Parts: sequence; C-alpha cells; structure tokens
Amino acid sequence: MAREAFHSNVLRAHEQLTSRLNGDAAAPLHQQRVAALQTFLDQGVPTTRHEEWKYTNVLPFIGSEFVTSLDADAAVTASDCARAMGSLAEALDGGWRVVFVNGHISLPLSSIPEHVNGLRIEPLTDALISKHPELSTVAGANMAATANPFVATNLALANNGVVIRVGSNIQLERPIHIVCITDVRSSHRLVTPRIVVLVEAGSSIDVVESHHTLGDMTALDVTVAEVAVAANAHVRYHKVLDDGESLRHIGDMRADVSRDATFTAHTACLGGGFVRNDVSVRLCEPSSQGFLFGTSVLRDHEYADNHTTVDHCVPHCHSEELYKGIYNDSSVGVFNGKIYVRPQAQKTTAYQSSHAILLSERAQMNSKPQLEIWADDVKCSHGATTGQLDEDAVFYLQSRGIDAAKARALMTYAFVAEVVERIDLVSLRQHLEERIADKLGAEPFAL
Amino acid sequence: MTPILSIQQLTAGIEEREILKGIDLVVNPGEVHAIMGPNGSGKSTLASVLAGREDYTVTGGSVSFMGKDLLEMAPEERAREGMFLAFQYPIEIPGVSTANFIKTAVGELRKHRGLDPLEPAAFLALMREKMKLVEMDSSFLNRSLNEGFSGGEKKRNEIFQMAMLEPTLAVLDETDSGLDIDALRIVAHGVNALRSPTNATVVITHYQRLLDYIVPDVVHVLWNGRIVRSGDKSLALELEKRGYDWIKNEAAVEA
Repeated sequence: MAREAFHSNVLRAHEQLTSRLNGDAAAPLHQQRVAALQTFLDQGVPTTRHEEWKYTNVLPFIGSEFVTSLDADAAVTASDCARAMGSLAEALDGGWRVVFVNGHISLPLSSIPEHVNGLRIEPLTDALISKHPELSTVAGANMAATANPFVATNLALANNGVVIRVGSNIQLERPIHIVCITDVRSSHRLVTPRIVVLVEAGSSIDVVESHHTLGDMTALDVTVAEVAVAANAHVRYHKVLDDGESLRHIGDMRADVSRDATFTAHTACLGGGFVRNDVSVRLCEPSSQGFLFGTSVLRDHEYADNHTTVDHCVPHCHSEELYKGIYNDSSVGVFNGKIYVRPQAQKTTAYQSSHAILLSERAQMNSKPQLEIWADDVKCSHGATTGQLDEDAVFYLQSRGIDAAKARALMTYAFVAEVVERIDLVSLRQHLEERIADKLGAEPFAL
Repeated sequence: MTPILSIQQLTAGIEEREILKGIDLVVNPGEVHAIMGPNGSGKSTLASVLAGREDYTVTGGSVSFMGKDLLEMAPEERAREGMFLAFQYPIEIPGVSTANFIKTAVGELRKHRGLDPLEPAAFLALMREKMKLVEMDSSFLNRSLNEGFSGGEKKRNEIFQMAMLEPTLAVLDETDSGLDIDALRIVAHGVNALRSPTNATVVITHYQRLLDYIVPDVVHVLWNGRIVRSGDKSLALELEKRGYDWIKNEAAVEA
C-alpha cells in the first residue's frame, strides 16, 4: 500500500512538472527526468528484501500523502529560515548561503555573491541545461538509468536545483553553505533538492550541506549532490543532519575525482527521525584521493544509515574511511562500506574502519564491510567494531573524582572527537564539537 | 586524634565468595602502612573495596574515613574526600588526553572544596612541576591517558595524579609490580616527597623491595582474608627471608 501510494505521489509530481514545460519536453534535462522516472517505476520503492536496504525500512513513512511544489515557497520567511537552521547559521555566518525551500532554490533567502572571481552559483533549470547539457551528467551520462529508486525520484522531479561552478586555480576563502528547509507545518512534503558542484583544476572549496524542517509533519527530503573534482582540485564536502523527528532524509552524494585531486566527505548525523546517506567516490585518475568520515551521535528512536562506496578505477589512488558512532536509547545505526579495486588499479591503498559504542541494551548497530578486490598489488584493510563503554575505565575516572555520568560523557566524546578533529573548516568543527558535547552531556575538551 | 582510616571487622566478597573475612586496621595521620601477603590473600580486594569498586559486595563491618562512613560514598565522592587508589593496572583511555583528564579531576576536587578553578597558566605550571617529581616528560600531557605508555610510565603517571590530587590517604596497589629498579626509585621518591604529618599511605605489595624505599611504620600480613600479624618494618625483612609459610602455619594453628 505504502509503495503504491508513493508511486502515485511521484507520478503526480512528475506530471505537474511536465505540464509546465511549455514545449521544452525535448530538452536534455527533461529527457533525463523521463528516463529517471522510468528507472524509478521499474525498480519501485525498496523493501528490506533488497540487499541495499536490508536494515533500513522506508515503508513506515513512505506512504504519507506528500505535497510537492514547483517552486520555492514564499510562505517561508527569513526568520523561519533562521529558526530552522538554529545555531549552525551563526557558526557559518561568514560563508555564502544557498537556501532551498521545499526543494527549490530561493534566491531571496540565499546570499549568493555576484562578483567573486571564478565562482558561479546559479539555479539548475531547463534553460541552463539546454545551454550546457554536460551539467546534467556530471556523475555519468547513464546516471538516470542506473540510479537507485530514490536518486531516480530526485532526477525525475529535478527542478530549480543549484549549480555551483568554480573556475581554475581559485581558493575560495569562505565556505558555501547549502541549506535545505522543508516546511511541514501544514502538510507532509516530498522535496528533491538537486546539487551540482564543478570544481576546475587547482581550485579548492568547502561546502556544507544541511537539512532542516519547519513543523511536525513528515518531510521526506530526497537530495542528490554530484561533485566533479578536476585535476589537483580539493573539495571538502560536509553534510550536517541535526534536526528533529520530522526529518526523513535520503541523501546521495557522489564525486568523481581526477588526477592529484582530493575529495573529502564528512557526514555528521546528530539528529533526525530517519537518515540515509549514500556517499560514492570514484577515483578516476591516478593519484586521486578520497576521504570519507562520519560521526553519528544518536538517541531516542533516531536512525542513521551510512552507505559508502569507494571505487578505485585506476592505479596509485588512496582512500580512507573512518566512521564512528555513539548510540543511546533505542537508536539504530547502519554502516555499509563498499570498496571496489578494479583489475587495473594496482598500487591502491584503501583503508576502512567503522566503530560504534552502544550505550543502551536497546540500541543497535549493523555493520557490513564489502571489499571487492580484483587487482593483486594493493594494500586494503577494513575493521568494524561494536562495543560498550569500558566500565573499568569509567571506574578509573570515578576514582579520580569524576562522577560516572561525566566520565561516560568524557569517554564517548573522546571516541567521536577523533573523527570531528579531522574537519579543517574551523567554524564548522567548533560548532559540531559543541553540538556533540551538548548531546552527550560533556564539555568540548579541545586543548 | 581522629584516625584517617579505621576499618573494623570488614567482610566483603565477589558474588557468593567471601574474600575479606574480618579486617581490622587503623591508620593515623603521618603513618605509612604496608600490607603484604601471598597471592590470593585479599590484598587487591581490600584496595578495591576502599576505592568503591561495584563488583565487590561488603557483607559486614565498617570503614570510617576521616570520621565519615566511607562505604556510604560513591567512588567519586571518596576521591573528592581525599582517598586515592594507585591502580595495579592503570586503565588506558583512548582520546582523553592526560592533561584534560587531570584538569577535569582537579576541577571536580576544587569544586567539592568550594575553590575556584585554577587559572590555565597556573594549572599548566603546576602540572609541569608535579611531572618533574616523577621524571615524566611534559609531552605525556597531550597523549591519551595511559595509551601506549610502558608499565613504568603508567605507574609514574599514577603517582603524578596523586601529586596533583594531594590525597589524605593514598592506597598504592602493587605499585611496584613490573617496575625495574630505576622506575621503582622514581616512584618511591615521588611517594616520599608527598608524605606529610597530615596524610597517610597504605602500600600494598608482594615484595619487601619497595619497602627499602618507602619505609613503613607498620607492616601487616594479610592471609586468607584476615590480618594475621602486624609488626614494624623488620617483619617485612623476616618475610623476605622466611617466606609466608610460617605465618600460614601459625595462623592455621591459631584458628
């Protein structure tokens, strides 16, 4: 039932979009929408029988009557926007801001620089894609055909996304903060923000993507971000999920990395009713590097599923993954990490680890490393642990005058701090340290 | 004069097994007591019970610390009241630096005593000074607590913490085990430097060797959960020469 309801919801939204095209049906963006819709209809909503969704059941919330819209909603004001973002807005105040409202870019709420050398931020529209068809296929020409059902949903409904282009040899001094706000004060909503980031040779940028809701109804936020990192460029892409129960986020981030370039993803899951993140990094040219970091600090019934894929396509590339999580109450975590090393990708180094601490008997962690290695001269390792807090260590701290609750907070904070410390963007790192310490009842213990 | 520690007819065990079968011990200010005994006699259990480890159940008797009922206090309260246990096996705590840990511990202690936190610069200077006492390099401050420390470094770190927390009663549980002679001297020097007429030390050990460096006022022999003999430091020397069997035999006859 829920699956059929979601199908008709997506179909209806797609038709609504088509009816407004004014003869642009042959345009490349729309062709992609049509192909993606077909992919979605062929695959359907996944159930837990589907290997990629084994632990993660979307059926409980997928069947709601979702409203979709064609444009950013004017009912969301600047103060709504500030309220939704909370303290993150202040932390990233020095950056540029791209605001999505109900899945569409809102220029009035955004602060997009007009005259920064080499930086272009513009709405992803049919007109733009008709002029630059290559922008619709940043993550591969056959993306629409090979997407998972939710990426396909996003592509089928793509409209008013954002395209961020950075010219060559530009070191952006400020981060770009992409804010996705969904207004569910009076209805459930399905939103599909689409983000395209192209960084040319020798440039570097920091992106922060965050997701927020207004109101208590269900916000199904299906976001796709595609990133192309040209030779010797460096992209640090951070994703922050720190919202309430109403946020149901299914996100897909994918990056293609060229020669000598680096892509770093950091995903912080600090709250939300349901979070699923797929991060896929393709190391396409020699000496490219991918770093994937993740921190989850969950409690109550919070849920975070991190699926990663690192594809070593060519020789001499390096990848590193570190995911850590603290799970309290009835929260649930999933880590599924795939590493592919193609036959020609000799001299690959690929390391993956995922560690979790469960603070309650009801909390759950599911870890699945998946390494497929076809080359024979590589260094690859993986490790996954799930455990409890060391009670002997708690006693040791108590015996020095630190009460048990504070001892636990200190230790759990230290456990995840190892990951957060790797964030180079100081403003964001400090913000996350505070948020995590707050959630764990600790103080940020940075020296 | 109120004793620092007064233990009366203490019985305690783990699960169903009784390990301490009636301990009596009084420690006065300024004194150093050594508790010796063969493996399994209950020495470490006594240390754990005094520190408040939950695995052990006290089944009878009383322990008064500075006139207060020690057994009523949570482990952290005991520490704040001035009790310190130097662990036989100090725990490694990844990610928590030695400096942050000791800062937090001293902060809790000062709060308990109604004192303001120390200024960061003064605190750093204090840490450096106390590290010198046990010849620890200040680079240890930024390392995770005990992680990757050698056996000797861990024990020196225990004495460093003791120096920072300035306890009224320090219980050293097998602090000499696994130490080479140089480390032993450093640890003993640290302990001696911290002695004062107002505090006291209980040294739990297997071997007489440590007592060459930390000279006890009273030596107790623990056997089968009871203190079966007490004497001055010459008792330790006699044990070193004759072993424990004669004491076990005498205790068996008395029982």
